[in-house]
Amino acid sequence: MSIPGFGTDSNDPVTSTAIINIPHKSEWRIEIPFKTTLDFTVTSGVAEIFGTELPLNVHIHLSGVKCAIYAPIEDVSISYHLIDNIGELSSEDNEFSEYISTESCMDNYLNLHLAIEQKRQSCTDHNILNPGELIMGPRVLVLGGDACGKTSLCKILSGYAVKMDSCPVLVNLNPRDGVFALPGSISATPVSDSFDLETSGGYGFTTTSGSLAHNPKQPIVKNFGFSSIRENLDLYKYQISQLGITVLSRLEQDLSVRNGGVIIDTPSLDIKDFSVIENIVSDFQVNILVVIGNEKLSIDLGKKFKHKSNLDIVKVPGSPGVVDVNESFIRRVQEQTIKEYFNGTNKTRLSPFKTDIDLHDLVIYKPVVTRDLMSSLSFLPKYYAILEEPSSSNLDNSIIAITQLPQTNKSPRDLLNSSVLGYVHVSKFDDDKKKLKVLLPFPGVFPRNVLIATNIGYNE
Amino acid sequence: MSDILESYQQTLSELTFNSRPIIETLTTIAKENPTVADGIIDLITQRIRRAIPQHKLFALYLLDSICKTVGNPYNILVGYDVYNLFIDVWKVVDEATRTRLVALFETWKISKVRGGGESLFPRDQLDKVEGFLKKVGKLTSAPTQSQSQKSQSGPVLSNSKLISDINQLIPIFEAKLKRTNDSKLNDKFRALNQLKIILTNQQMKPQELQAVQNQLNAIKEQELSPAPPSLPPIPPKPVIHQQHQQQQQQPPQPLQPIVNASQIFNDLILSGLVKKEQEPIPGSKPNYTLVFPTIKYVPKTEIPGVDVLADILNPNSNIQRSEYQKLKFGELVQISKAISGDDNSLQKFINTNKPSHSSVQLLYNSKASKCSICGKRFSTDQEGSTKKRLHLDWHFRINKKLTGTGSGATGTGGGVVSNVQSRSWYLDDYDWANFKDEQLLEFATPEVAQTATINSNIPSGVVPYVVVPSADTNMNNKCLICLEQVKASYNDEIGEWCWMGCIKSPNDSKNLRKIVHITCFNDRKRATDTEDGNTRKRGKLA
Ligand SMILES: [Zn+2]
Ligand SMILES: [Zn+2]
Repeated sequence: MSIPGFGTDSNDPVTSTAIINIPHKSEWRIEIPFKTTLDFTVTSGVAEIFGTELPLNVHIHLSGVKCAIYAPIEDVSISYHLIDNIGELSSEDNEFSEYISTESCMDNYLNLHLAIEQKRQSCTDHNILNPGELIMGPRVLVLGGDACGKTSLCKILSGYAVKMDSCPVLVNLNPRDGVFALPGSISATPVSDSFDLETSGGYGFTTTSGSLAHNPKQPIVKNFGFSSIRENLDLYKYQISQLGITVLSRLEQDLSVRNGGVIIDTPSLDIKDFSVIENIVSDFQVNILVVIGNEKLSIDLGKKFKHKSNLDIVKVPGSPGVVDVNESFIRRVQEQTIKEYFNGTNKTRLSPFKTDIDLHDLVIYKPVVTRDLMSSLSFLPKYYAILEEPSSSNLDNSIIAITQLPQTNKSPRDLLNSSVLGYVHVSKFDDDKKKLKVLLPFPGVFPRNVLIATNIGYNE
Repeated sequence: MSDILESYQQTLSELTFNSRPIIETLTTIAKENPTVADGIIDLITQRIRRAIPQHKLFALYLLDSICKTVGNPYNILVGYDVYNLFIDVWKVVDEATRTRLVALFETWKISKVRGGGESLFPRDQLDKVEGFLKKVGKLTSAPTQSQSQKSQSGPVLSNSKLISDINQLIPIFEAKLKRTNDSKLNDKFRALNQLKIILTNQQMKPQELQAVQNQLNAIKEQELSPAPPSLPPIPPKPVIHQQHQQQQQQPPQPLQPIVNASQIFNDLILSGLVKKEQEPIPGSKPNYTLVFPTIKYVPKTEIPGVDVLADILNPNSNIQRSEYQKLKFGELVQISKAISGDDNSLQKFINTNKPSHSSVQLLYNSKASKCSICGKRFSTDQEGSTKKRLHLDWHFRINKKLTGTGSGATGTGGGVVSNVQSRSWYLDDYDWANFKDEQLLEFATPEVAQTATINSNIPSGVVPYVVVPSADTNMNNKCLICLEQVKASYNDEIGEWCWMGCIKSPNDSKNLRKIVHITCFNDRKRATDTEDGNTRKRGKLA
């Protein structure tokens, strides 16, 4: 094992490598800060991270990750060592931490997967036998409080589905996370292959102009503009229903996705957010509702949805391994996701494109904050408003979503119905020349001119 | 005796008529208490042997239900005794009941143990019963499943025969459905229609046809016996023992000429329409009650299946499946039964199911071939092997591209092809809804089967490119050799959109969109040079 910076003349190269054994059905829970890279290989046994199986004897690099490596069928042996990330401003207090836990909810999660897969199977068979009256695979909504492991469960369910040759659509409704997209958005992505664990968030790349060592995914992305859904619940609900329409029409068009169904990850919602939950259930025609580790919520939902006969509500225990993720860590993951959107990873570099554009040529909207009392004033726009005075103070170091709208379009209704083409990062707005210095993911002319400013900041 | 067994015995003694609810209850208890399986089997066999002749059949039906629905260990425990039980009952019952017994035996011959391929009861026991029935003239010499020859005497069961049977049933169902809105009836009606589709599209094996026939007979019996409408007569089978054969085919005989009143009454009791209660003491007065017809037990040929339809047919014959898919199907069938019970069964399953070894392995060793590069798993059946080969080809190509190696042997400097890439824009709603993820995967099937042999020289040392034709709006293209997608990227130096690392296909340089990777071209050229053109057969460069 040769690592840059760790010469063979190192004093004690042996101590840098450690071996850990994960007993069958146990988890190795690890927290890796951004200033550190964990370089590890599975030397024996079958190991997986949130449903994605790891190759044997291949180096894997993880950084800025809190996760668990699970040993589903046999004991696992892992050899690992840590590398300091040079150039990483280490304002983090956290150090690498790890422990083995024998407590695991993986049996419950596997049972849930098997039940869902069974529904996919009977849907698939039905659709073969009844090409005239096709039905949809299971639509699964995962709910729960903060840091209860919703995202991990969604990854496990998606990962296991892929391993059994199914292709569900993974829907992310938590704008805090960018899933095959940037924070501030909601998205839907067919999971046609395994996740790429070595990318920010552990999801992987979307399509690029070149070749990737791991097959990319193709998402549909809707802009929201904030990390927190509370900033504008109306806009949030609107975009959920827009996304729902598009996802259901994909299911109409695509038999393998139709059989695979939908898996929906959500922000922390409780019974006070019932109107949001109700919207999701109807927009995605949810028929299985999974509540993680919250007896009360599942009982309350059972009462509220009593009239719905075609909705199964089940609860699963929260994984005891879920760690509380603090604000600064979340922010750091967001930054990493944005960085990788433009620049790729250490393993797969992407070439973004820097250019100047005239404000003149652009129409910039911004999402309205309705958390304040404004929302009750009906004459004000509910969703988006024109960014009245673009300036360095509201544009510098921000992320702007480019909509799919053609240049000539001026209708606010179409703006609401458009999805995201991509994002630009504004590094500087020249107040005098009215020019924006921007970073585009893809080289060439600026593709569209109707933009939506977001509340997501980013420093290069 | 344990509490369970005591109450079991109590309920069992109430099985004095053909009651599906009682049989189902007792079956469920048996299913949930495998630890007292031998006790339960003892109780049932005692009941079969000691009950008055009119009640024996129902106890036998219970045994049938448990063995078919639960299987192991019940079918094993009673297996060695099946012949004796059958004969003991046979000796003391009337002709109508004997007909039922023959029908029951017919289902045993083709039933399989749940989740496995073994027959319900030991083959030698079944053969003995069959031998007996032939001796007493109740069976023709039609072969059992263990014998492979097809009877020459009767008309061969065929798809079209069964389709015409279904066609007779369909109008009856339609008429019934007009009158009532029974969901069970609806399900059956749909299953019939599905079955017809399968029969129309697929040739079936003789024993599958037999299974379908039995099932159709059961449906006829269930739907038609209570209030027989104008049932079109079923073409009789012209076999040697025609009378018996006919009885066996349509046990309820609703349209047969009435022989005598007591015969009818016996039939009604057997069909479950009339419940007869009588102390098992000679001379005691029987007590008759009317029973609704929907609740009687009908012995089915239990073959595991996901839904009504799959219950009718051997599931593996419905739909073509790879070896892995068959394994998966088999496991999921078991799970489907576990979760399709009462309201809470899904939650119960999630909470308490201990995933079986074979279920867990669907994620792992059932796809035994694991890629050493990325960990992706492939089954070892033909489908899996093909996929793995394409997968490894893909790793090889990508790796060549990423490391810039691979075409060095030509000395043209082809290795300098860089993999400079940028993130693509996202699709809009319309394109996304119509997008197919196969385009992202390594298994994309080649659209161009045979690529031309290329034989021109390429200047070395620079990264070649093809400028996207100015009139062209489609930036996506593909390499004619490896068929990988090539996306245009913007070339700052010349201010044009280009397909980088590609050259125009020398074979068709007039068509501006026909391009090949320089690396692929060089590989192909090298292969052609060294193997003297013998590589034409190869569809793809490894
Ligand atoms: Zn691989
Ligand atoms: Zn190529």
